[in-house]
Amino acid sequence: MKRKTVRKPPPPPKRDAIDSLVVANAQALGLTLDPSWVANVKFNLQLILRHAALVDEFPLPDDAEPAEIFHA
Amino acid sequence: MLDVPTIDFDFGSAAEIVAAVASGRSTAVGMVEAALARIRGRDPVLNSFTAVTEQRALLRAEAVDATRARGEALGPLAGVPFAVKNLFDVSGLPTLAGSKINRDMPPATRDAALIERLEAAGAILVGALNMGEYAYDFTGENIHDGASRNPHDHERMSGGSSGGSGAAVGGGLVPLALGSDTNGSIRVPSSLCGIFGLKPTYGRLTRARTFPFVASFDHLGPFARTARDLALAFDAMQGFDAEDPACASRPIEPVAPILEQGADGLRVAVAAGYFKCNSGETCYAIDRVSAALGANRDIEIPEAQRARSAAFIITASEGASLHLNRLRARARDFDPAVRDRLIAGAMTPASLVVKAQKFRRWYRDQVIKLFDEVDAIIAPATPCTAPLIGQQTFMFGDTELPVRANLGLYTQPISFIGLPVVAVPVPLVPLPIGVQIIAAPWREDVALRLAHALEVKGIVAAMRPAL
Repeated sequence: MKRKTVRKPPPPPKRDAIDSLVVANAQALGLTLDPSWVANVKFNLQLILRHAALVDEFPLPDDAEPAEIFHA
Repeated sequence: MLDVPTIDFDFGSAAEIVAAVASGRSTAVGMVEAALARIRGRDPVLNSFTAVTEQRALLRAEAVDATRARGEALGPLAGVPFAVKNLFDVSGLPTLAGSKINRDMPPATRDAALIERLEAAGAILVGALNMGEYAYDFTGENIHDGASRNPHDHERMSGGSSGGSGAAVGGGLVPLALGSDTNGSIRVPSSLCGIFGLKPTYGRLTRARTFPFVASFDHLGPFARTARDLALAFDAMQGFDAEDPACASRPIEPVAPILEQGADGLRVAVAAGYFKCNSGETCYAIDRVSAALGANRDIEIPEAQRARSAAFIITASEGASLHLNRLRARARDFDPAVRDRLIAGAMTPASLVVKAQKFRRWYRDQVIKLFDEVDAIIAPATPCTAPLIGQQTFMFGDTELPVRANLGLYTQPISFIGLPVVAVPVPLVPLPIGVQIIAAPWREDVALRLAHALEVKGIVAAMRPAL
């Protein structure tokens, strides 16, 4: 039987968690962040996460296929 | 003596130019020289061009005239000057894509496929056009090349990211231009500059030899001053291209010959809910177009807000992935507004991008069902007329919204699933505004027929700027 996955989105990360996320991700990705850029990067990441939460809360079944299908 | 109709070559259509050159009333060289003169005269203000390919254009024009002189057949766009957004490869030029970084790339060795196809039809490239950096833009502003300016009010935005394309066609510099549309970058400048724009079905037109942005959403398409010119350009550019993996293998389906079918038999509805108009101008435009098309019912496009969000995060993630090495090596050479969005995009949780692509399939399936009931859906193209250059916010009903992120709020849920759209200009004073005519996949003919019908009725028109 196909089950739909229904879940509530997680609460948005607290502000200091975003700081840590930006710094850690930049390091992991090999990106050098000028300290003057961090605030704007954080702002944009928070915007992305708000949009992502809207996508995350939509119930889709486990067998939902992505839009793009690869053919060997 | 023949009664030769007066042709406004200054703001004339491509179809008029083709007829004039074919009949001998004008030459291709004359058309190109006139376009070059207009560019010299007006572009210092409009700032739509980043390169003018004068020598190349005149040589091509001479070749068109020589073809006619030999009595050989001319192509369907013979003598028509056109220009392209500077993310199209133009042989001999670096492909800027609105950036500083790409200036250091070697020049392209071959034209983009769509340039080759238009020139095979007899059209003549006159230059490359300004755009928002790396196409991550709805304003038409560019920190490196300056903002392209709205032809109807030079203190206002052209819209973007195909800002130069909108300004050049709206300002009468060329009758035809090419741009790209990932989340709205043909439809937004069409709306703000008061011209026609076609975003075809995703995969309809080859993207070969153009600088990308978001592979999942990039479309290429024409701008023009009439629906017929859009159709002529579209027809000349169609056809499978193995060099673009996203290009669909479909037969060429000419639209220009069937434009006169107009709106006959077509069922049209107005998008409601998320797409409901929220300003005097957008509501007037929607009411005017819907009345003319007999669109007496509303239709709800489900989950449009969520679709926009999904498009947002896919764009953020794919855009960042494309530019990751450039962000590592030359972050300071980006426009800071673009750089910081891209850096944030690189941090988008991958699992949610995957979910967004799954949602995309669900959303596409739901929207396609709507076309069992209707042939076309109309919706606003932009939430407002052209903001001032540099303006940061605008009023959306009672809510103040940032301009940069929200000029594409009506366009993004549609390009998300690659539906064909014609943006048609409603001639308001002092500033025009556009309406989207949205059709089912591969039914550009429906959208173009409706656009032409509206134009014949005088409901939509590319106004000549008063300036």
